[in-house]
Amino acid sequence: MHGWCGKILRVDLSRGKISNEALDPQVARDYIGARGFGIYYLRREVDPACDPLGPENKIVMAAGPLTGTPAPTGARYVVTTKSPLTGAITCSNSGGNFPAELKKSGHDAIIIEGRSATPVYLWIDGGRAELRPASHLWGKTTHETDDALRGETHAKAKTAVIGPAGEKQVLFAAIMNDRDRAAGRAGVGAVMGSKNLKAVVVRGEGEISLADPAAFKAANTKYREAFKAKTQDNPPPLRTHGTAITVVGTQGHGVFPTRNFQQGTFEGWESIYGETLTQKYLVRAKPCFSCPIACGRVTRIPDGPYQGEGEGPEYETVYALGSDCGVDDLAALTKANYECNELGLDTISMGSAIACAMELYEKGYLKESEIGMPLPWGDGAALVKLTRMTARREGFGNILAEGSRRLAARCGHPELAMVAKSLDFAGYDPRGEQGMGLAYATSPIGGSHMRGDPAYFELLGVPVPADPHTWEDKPPLVAKWQDLFCVIDAAGLCVFFSVRYLVEQNLMVKPVGITELLNGATGAGYTPEEVEKIGERIFNAERMFLLSAGFTRKDDSLPPRITEEPMPTGPAKGMVCKLEEMLSPYYRLRGWSAEGVPSETKLGELGLLQRLKA
Amino acid sequence: MKVRVNTFANLRDYAPAGKSSFELALADGASVADLISALRIPAAVQAVMLVNGRRAGAATQLNSGDEVTLFPPMEGG
Repeated sequence: MHGWCGKILRVDLSRGKISNEALDPQVARDYIGARGFGIYYLRREVDPACDPLGPENKIVMAAGPLTGTPAPTGARYVVTTKSPLTGAITCSNSGGNFPAELKKSGHDAIIIEGRSATPVYLWIDGGRAELRPASHLWGKTTHETDDALRGETHAKAKTAVIGPAGEKQVLFAAIMNDRDRAAGRAGVGAVMGSKNLKAVVVRGEGEISLADPAAFKAANTKYREAFKAKTQDNPPPLRTHGTAITVVGTQGHGVFPTRNFQQGTFEGWESIYGETLTQKYLVRAKPCFSCPIACGRVTRIPDGPYQGEGEGPEYETVYALGSDCGVDDLAALTKANYECNELGLDTISMGSAIACAMELYEKGYLKESEIGMPLPWGDGAALVKLTRMTARREGFGNILAEGSRRLAARCGHPELAMVAKSLDFAGYDPRGEQGMGLAYATSPIGGSHMRGDPAYFELLGVPVPADPHTWEDKPPLVAKWQDLFCVIDAAGLCVFFSVRYLVEQNLMVKPVGITELLNGATGAGYTPEEVEKIGERIFNAERMFLLSAGFTRKDDSLPPRITEEPMPTGPAKGMVCKLEEMLSPYYRLRGWSAEGVPSETKLGELGLLQRLKA
Repeated sequence: MKVRVNTFANLRDYAPAGKSSFELALADGASVADLISALRIPAAVQAVMLVNGRRAGAATQLNSGDEVTLFPPMEGG
């Protein structure tokens, strides 16, 4: 095979057994890779009703056919499993260098099953793989673990590890690769911790075979040159200032979530946004494998109570640990970000849980005695302290570790958790961004922006603008973009480059460039229409997993704050999200019933009926 | 008439005196295009333009006291 390695590594932790399996060429063609392989194997092998933290759940770590190739941003992998935070599927995506190394070791995917009796790590050295004891690493931070493992294996090995939060099964624990990149969302790290698997360490020096090197090179050069031409006089804002520059777009539109989504504008935004980060703490921009953008931030806080060095913050962190908690102290939120990275926590759900606690405290539903400290809006020191307590489940941290939905329910006010399907929202208030509301509500993993991000066209003008306040035009756009993101994720690419250069630059985003690169790498001879259909297949397969896990139309919902409480201030003042109005037309155009169930006709069209019966 | 202008990232290069936020005097009835030309922002430099927090185009008419925000298209976060 070309592009694909043709090999899956299966690791049975209960029996300590490792085996190699051939990748079925038809599955490769029909699901492309990464996110596609994740749902393909999960549906075949995991009971959607299983206990996510039990041995019957599995973790699929999968790369795409473009991962590890010279394709621009061919850096990504996806971790698919049943989420302990949501009970739904999750397919968390990360870049860095670990995913490319996995491909270079000759593997498209690792399927991890069972549970080890004692802590272990998986060491993959090219074609050889073994499980090694990891008791000496238990309790160590992600950075300490990375240092120790590269010392024990190979200095150039790449790691994907859990920190103390994953070990303690914090429900939003992350898997951190290359120290500071996160497969962050919905608790993939907790699942790894439940299996007593501390880390996956990989070394690979192989080259990925390309089906048509000349065609691949021509496509690669064409799109890289297009990027160069567009950015040579105007460096990309993401390189200059990182993703935290996005505050300009959200604050400007009045959708920058503030104090647990009580407002859409934050008076302290200038203290925490990308240009301030650049001026105060940026050391250098850091690219992932094969990336021309380099949005990653290496930062340093030189002195003061939050002194430290690490990576971040990203936009989502600036929202979750910043405006959403009313915190305008960039040093404090950056330090809390470092702690999340080193302890292995999702910064979005961590910040969102603290913001929820702050509102519960403000309203008197949560007492100082329960928290162990006062918790006013804007308390930067509390951010850092609570992050540490959460990772180790100490004191009130043990309650935060269950996430905002369970916290709010425990206090008798479930409506104050800003979640969809128990997953905390990203940094966009859907009241002033109607498409985002539909995307949060129908995302297969819950309140994620990265399952078809409408912020591109609603806020950021990419590839072309659409009005964020209208809802009538959003159902077809959201469906189209959700399917596109399945394709980007399956290919092993990053959204940031793909939406600007690898799709047609209109709202219908036909994946022309992605198709060219896939064909050059794999020789599959895809048409862009076939690739779009694969995106739809992946999305519907994920939907079927959700439905089998017991989710229904009522779970495609948003909190009453978003659908009933008008935005109090800013450019979106007076608006609510028209979710119900959007949901029925969205179901219809997807070929789903009024209850949100894909029809037999749709499943047949996507080749998903046969798979169900297989 | 006077409008307030907020510029970000590379668009700040076109702000008078490099101040990101400033007041600008324009002829009555001026449009966003007139503002862009007054700031000498070349056509090759793309900008997302908001007037009072709503998306605007080059032809959008400005009124005294409007707040205009200009930032480059971004790939998101």
